[in-house]
Amino acid sequence: MFDLAREIGQTLSNNKLRTSLTGLSVAWGIFMLIILLGMSQGVVNSFNEGFMSQGSNYINIWGGRTSNAFKGYKEGRSIDLKESDLNVIDSRNGNIVDNISSSISGSSVVISSPIDYISSGYDGVFPDELDKRGIPLSYGRFINELDLEHRRKVVVLTEQNAAILFKTAENAIGKQVKMKDLSFTVIGVINPRFGQETYIPFTTALALKGGDSVVDGISVELKNVYTMEDGEKAEGDIKKTLAHTHDFDTEDNGAVHIWNRFNQHLTMSSALNVLQLVVWLIGLFTLLSGIIGVSNIMFVSVKERTHEIGIRRAIGAKPMSILIQIITESVAITGIFGYIGVFFGIVIIEFLGKIFEGSEFIGDVTVDISIAIKVTIVLIIAGCLAGLFPALKALKVKPVEALRDE
Amino acid sequence: MSSPIITLKDVNKTYPGIVPLHVLKGINLEIGRGELVSIMGASGSGKSTLLNILGILDNYDTGEYVLDGTLIKNLSENRAAELRNKMIGFVFQSFNLINYKNAVENVALPLFYQGVSRKKRNKLAMEQLDRMGLADRAHHLPGELSGGQKQRVAIARSLITNPSIILADEPTGALDSKTSKEVMDVFRDLNSSTGMTIIIVTHDPGVGAKTNRIIRISDGMILPDENV
Repeated sequence: MFDLAREIGQTLSNNKLRTSLTGLSVAWGIFMLIILLGMSQGVVNSFNEGFMSQGSNYINIWGGRTSNAFKGYKEGRSIDLKESDLNVIDSRNGNIVDNISSSISGSSVVISSPIDYISSGYDGVFPDELDKRGIPLSYGRFINELDLEHRRKVVVLTEQNAAILFKTAENAIGKQVKMKDLSFTVIGVINPRFGQETYIPFTTALALKGGDSVVDGISVELKNVYTMEDGEKAEGDIKKTLAHTHDFDTEDNGAVHIWNRFNQHLTMSSALNVLQLVVWLIGLFTLLSGIIGVSNIMFVSVKERTHEIGIRRAIGAKPMSILIQIITESVAITGIFGYIGVFFGIVIIEFLGKIFEGSEFIGDVTVDISIAIKVTIVLIIAGCLAGLFPALKALKVKPVEALRDE
Repeated sequence: MSSPIITLKDVNKTYPGIVPLHVLKGINLEIGRGELVSIMGASGSGKSTLLNILGILDNYDTGEYVLDGTLIKNLSENRAAELRNKMIGFVFQSFNLINYKNAVENVALPLFYQGVSRKKRNKLAMEQLDRMGLADRAHHLPGELSGGQKQRVAIARSLITNPSIILADEPTGALDSKTSKEVMDVFRDLNSSTGMTIIIVTHDPGVGAKTNRIIRISDGMILPDENV
């Protein structure tokens, strides 16, 4: 093993300039591959942190206006979703409905504490709202089932608002605020990426609003759906249920507005996969040009050494021995210079990571260990191939002829 | 005398082509153990082809070639390489040393292909170089050696696997007359002191005269023998 290494070392250092230039093209190819992979990973990560981190198994429905006349009604009739719709949808579509929730928005109200006051819109929501929107909870807790059942007067504030009302966000927990002439207890503080909405239990909001329990939107959490077709069928079934309850045409596209989050998620997922695949392909093709460079040089090098190979074979080198020697040389070049490329690639990735920190469209720019392993395997295979063809060509020449060369 | 070390029976070889070339036309030849022979012929006589066949560097079409009890016929490239390594020591006109390896490494190379460890084969190589009087030049590169020294390194290399025969192709072709004499003295000495069978292919009558038997080849056939 050592012996072979010495042989190769001698051969490679015999032609330092040529070896270095060849190796450089491999290093460059790998370097580009690493950078591309890191950057694309950054984009994927940013999507995963944003859009993809929000609840994905959802279909959201809002009321609209009919665009067709139907069952004696004129077109242009407004369809209002009601609290009663929640039960109907759940009972008629039990096989796909895991959870169903809704929200009621209230317009700006004044929320005041002993120290200060703010003006905020509020949402009456179900306990799953936090997960659906992917909002992190900073202190305390979010609204739960008991709050809903007892229509408790509890409220969840944003960090910014809580700090205004109670000097620090943490301080707000357990304190009382006044909202619409009623006393509410602060049970939690959240830190949303966008907006400053205040949250209270859905049933509490219903009671506050009075009137005929019209809700803003219905959110259905799905189960037993796995493909785009499943998603479309679920959407259709829910629409049918509502069409029946509210007497509008199932074909009517304006009556209710549906946002099929589930199908969107699937689409985005596959788009991200395609992105990563494309990037790997581009990277590999870049690397390929470096490998072709190595192969080219190996052909030249082997041709130059025809005479030497003839001598070796005359004194007893078996074909396999020559093959192994040449392939190992090739793997050595791609391996050593490939790793130089990997090293600099990672250094630059770290550097880029710092530059893009906090950028909206590029998340964590990283290259993880599985990439390093994949790249190593690619390097070894590439090195073998780059040396294989020149070696086979060399062996086609008979020792007698090889000796005559020069 | 024991059985011959080389027997050729009715060996024929034709080079294929648009006009096939029938180069060896039924060679019959015996060379005894410990002989110092030369094979002489004009260019085109087939002597190079005969040399290549004796050296297991080329195949022949019909007949039989037996080397030290081993039938050499239709060998795989692997087997041919193995036998070349073990049974034949080559000495070429243009020395054919590897120019980026020093004398010791060149001499040791056949043992590398036998899988002998580096320490051991370098030790054996030094012994051979010493025999040739080149111990002080052991770490010189071929570029730093004179023609005669290079040829002696080549001879040392040819001996290192303790082969059955030494096959030399115009070994003095690239050397001046004084150095040629020295090299021929090495061969004669090797033959008389160790009984090594040495076959020298040459067109130089002076070289032929220094061997004990001249085998003449002309037009693809061996001419009747004459002893020197």
